[in-house]
Amino acid sequence: MKEKIQKINDYEWLLPKTARNGMNVDAKIIANKKILDSIEEDAVQQLTNVACLPGVVEPVIGLPDMHFGYGLPMGAVSAFDSEKGIISAGLCGFDINCGINSIRTNLTVNEVREKLKELVPALFNAIPCGVGSKGKLRLNYNELDSVMTNGVNWAVENGYGTKEDIKKTEENGCMSGADPSKVSDLAKKRGLPQLGTLGAGNHFLEIQKVSDIYDKEYAKKLGIVDKDQVLIMLHCGSRGFGHQIATDYLKIQEKAVKKYNIQLPDRQLACAPVNSKEGQDYYSAMKCAVNYSFTNRLVMTQWIRETFEKVFKKSWEEMNMQTVYGICHNIVKLEKIKGKKYYVHRKGATRAFPDMPVLIAGTMGTASYICKGTELALDKTFGSSCHGSGRAMSRHAALKQFRGEKVSDDLKEKGIVSKASNWKSFAEEAPGCYKDVEEVVDSVHNAGISLKVVRMKPLGVLKG
Amino acid sequence: MEKYKFIDDLTSDVLFEAYGKSLKELFGNSAIALSSIICNIKKVGEEKSLSVELKGDSIEDLMVNWLQEIIALVDTDEMFFSRFDIIEISEDNLKANIYGEPISPEKAGIVVKGVTYYKLKLEKIKDNFKVTISLDI
Repeated sequence: MKEKIQKINDYEWLLPKTARNGMNVDAKIIANKKILDSIEEDAVQQLTNVACLPGVVEPVIGLPDMHFGYGLPMGAVSAFDSEKGIISAGLCGFDINCGINSIRTNLTVNEVREKLKELVPALFNAIPCGVGSKGKLRLNYNELDSVMTNGVNWAVENGYGTKEDIKKTEENGCMSGADPSKVSDLAKKRGLPQLGTLGAGNHFLEIQKVSDIYDKEYAKKLGIVDKDQVLIMLHCGSRGFGHQIATDYLKIQEKAVKKYNIQLPDRQLACAPVNSKEGQDYYSAMKCAVNYSFTNRLVMTQWIRETFEKVFKKSWEEMNMQTVYGICHNIVKLEKIKGKKYYVHRKGATRAFPDMPVLIAGTMGTASYICKGTELALDKTFGSSCHGSGRAMSRHAALKQFRGEKVSDDLKEKGIVSKASNWKSFAEEAPGCYKDVEEVVDSVHNAGISLKVVRMKPLGVLKG
Repeated sequence: MEKYKFIDDLTSDVLFEAYGKSLKELFGNSAIALSSIICNIKKVGEEKSLSVELKGDSIEDLMVNWLQEIIALVDTDEMFFSRFDIIEISEDNLKANIYGEPISPEKAGIVVKGVTYYKLKLEKIKDNFKVTISLDI
């Protein structure tokens, strides 16, 4: 399939709908040549599968962090007609509203470096990480219902975060229309003990220093004024609650595919017509997971603040630990773009509306970025950009190639203090398992869909 | 005969094959493969047991439901599992007793988000069964 890709310019590539039978629209990949060459054939094939779905709007987008995933690549965006299209649990994936919060401080790198060896273990104790840790919050069913419908407003009412945090979160931290009656008892049971937990896999908490500021004016608006200023990045999702909602609706929508006679090139792209019960029920349930995840990140944000207070002996307000912004990676949203409404499915992709922050995570040994969205993103990618550097190596291969202890030692040599729930996490998430974040961010910057604002380098890393 | 084998195939996820001389053995070995990702299964005891009963639309569907049930039980009962005794199994029904101990960070592996349909296949080769499973990590 890759041989059918045509160059539009140095950062945009077309896979025309004539590339194979059944494609309703073109697919497009945003990447420089080096990244394009590294994208797996199977991932490109997956993009063309999405282009076969009913009501899909041109084009289906692959972003430079794209890699083979469940049904469609991670790092992909597809938009569907708001009347004739579909809503797909498969296109959103298992980790609903996996996303990132960025938190700023007024601490300098020197102040933080001195305390890193105390700070990283203290954070590790404060934030339950990994599959073996128990959450500190135990919700009852009424509280969980409130989290599902009210999102971060529940957190603020219960002493986690402030109204300022709400304003600095995509969707103000709460999608309206979430309906707990559309969520299974099993999903709720999984959600009760897990609010305020990081999870594992690629989820992380990172202490970063600002290494470069490209857009001083915009950075200032975000409260980032100095090189060497310290920021915090938190990456996690809706935990078992969201995984179960995805699992439940993949089954429901697989049946809907037969019921509505939808031709699927891959059964993993389970979906239902936008106005069907199976489509709208998923959308209402997905919003519950979205709101849970926003709340999860804000609860942990507050615990991060409290930990900094203990270590630095100052209040978090004195350290100006405000949310820079919080964004989603895996989500379906009804959005108005250039006057038209679409169900935009972002999987491993970030909203990049004009002048809105875009947070892009690197690996535990490399840089991360804050960018800003653009008008061009509305024209080209349904207002979307990449979400990270994107995996380049399987976990299995990573375990063969890297030793966790060595990965941690290598980070130490770079001055990065790290802690994970086990050594395996270090090996599986080694920086060498990922694409070069610099190439990825250069691609979205040069394609004009999100522009570099700030570059951060890691100082301390916690992995689940 | 080996119980299961991990295959280097998926960029972000995990693919394994499990084997068995019977469906009971196949389902038991598949659960061991899954559990060995979630925890250090060799160090997990059998102090607590749970009964599981499941249905499926087909034998493959039953396998997905079985593995999905174990993933959910890790969250809801906060346990790691090390032993899976399949009591009864048919094309669409399964009864099992599973054994384990409370979760603990020192025995933890990684979070499995879900069982996917990618390359899902349950087949009988001569007198043996084989299943291919991919997991979203």
